[in-house]
Amino acid sequence: MNRATNVFFMGKGGVGKSTSSALFSVFLAQKGFQVLIVSLDPAHNQSDIFERDLSDKPIRIAPNLSAIEIDQEFWIRQYLKDIHNQINRTYSYLTAFNLEKYFSVIKYSPGLEEYALILAFEKIKKNFSQCDYLIFDMPPTALGLKFFSLPSLSLIWIEHLLALRKEIIKKRDLITNIKLIKKEIERDKVLNKINDLRNQYQDLKDTFEDRKQTQINLVLNPDKLSYAESIRIVKALQEININLYRTINNKMKLDSSVEDINEVFAGIPRTNFPHSETPLIGIHNLQKFVKANGDQLEKQLSISSHNPI
Amino acid sequence: MNTIIKSIRDRIVSIWKISDEVARGKAVETIEYELEEMENIFGILVLGSFIGMPAPPMQISLDLMPLMEKELILMMKKVDTANEPIARLFSVFDIG
Repeated sequence: MNRATNVFFMGKGGVGKSTSSALFSVFLAQKGFQVLIVSLDPAHNQSDIFERDLSDKPIRIAPNLSAIEIDQEFWIRQYLKDIHNQINRTYSYLTAFNLEKYFSVIKYSPGLEEYALILAFEKIKKNFSQCDYLIFDMPPTALGLKFFSLPSLSLIWIEHLLALRKEIIKKRDLITNIKLIKKEIERDKVLNKINDLRNQYQDLKDTFEDRKQTQINLVLNPDKLSYAESIRIVKALQEININLYRTINNKMKLDSSVEDINEVFAGIPRTNFPHSETPLIGIHNLQKFVKANGDQLEKQLSISSHNPI
Repeated sequence: MNTIIKSIRDRIVSIWKISDEVARGKAVETIEYELEEMENIFGILVLGSFIGMPAPPMQISLDLMPLMEKELILMMKKVDTANEPIARLFSVFDIG
């Protein structure tokens, strides 16, 4: 049973996604929830924030809180190695097609970066389902949006390929019937694979769209550029049927105005993370900040140890 | 006498079987050509990125590639006749 809630932190580069996700994780861990914070951002700021060397194995940061860093290139290499091995097993014409040469450049193909993140997300979701919260520190906007749109876009292609494959199988069966050839008992492997892929992407799409499983927090700063990009993010997510769960107004100062926030954010719960005079580096500073602002955060997030988000 | 009748019967059955097979083969010739073209299109659609055509996201091509040996061979075969599609079509419909 998968009980973990996936919480994503998105936003423009530099708005404080990593710090906000770290604070959020510390806050939840202090409330007694089991939390794993995962850095999907290739910049990997979490190791700097927690002042610890992070890797793909969970490192304990504080009671109830562990952290993981995803190496995107490792996942791309691993994925391509698997495909390469499968091809080597099934093809006897590898040298003739010169595919070896292609594989050395495929790793630079567009699209594989976000797919590596998807593979890492699926693995973490499966392996750490016993956690209460999986907190994902996302890469900046462009890659973050590609990550969320990958299942929807892939499904469009898959539906078309599935229809064509079914048509091919129908024709093949017709020929087999007329020619009175023995029917192949084994089903079409390509069709099976397309069906598997469809299920995989549909599961991901459902996970991203289900607010009980996935909460997307948009981090923004009280400045025009940050607002403008945030509006684009909300609209882009709405296009793929994903709704924002909460906006986090980070680095709020006393004179910061949040009243002129665009109507796009109307109805979306808002949380303010006040500006911190001391740099939020190291678990002690993060815990100190959470302690000082805990009541306010608890009120805004409506979280208590008995009342999950 | 019985042997002669049996031999004649066997021959008729054999002729019937062969002509049935030929007729069935002729009947599906066009559909087989259509099927081959569809398999070629499927191959080009999925593996198009390798020959500079618009293609699905890379991971879909890569996931299906290990299972598409037949399509790849067919695509290579089709390259030979790709410059004479009309001639191929005429031969399928037995024109000329």
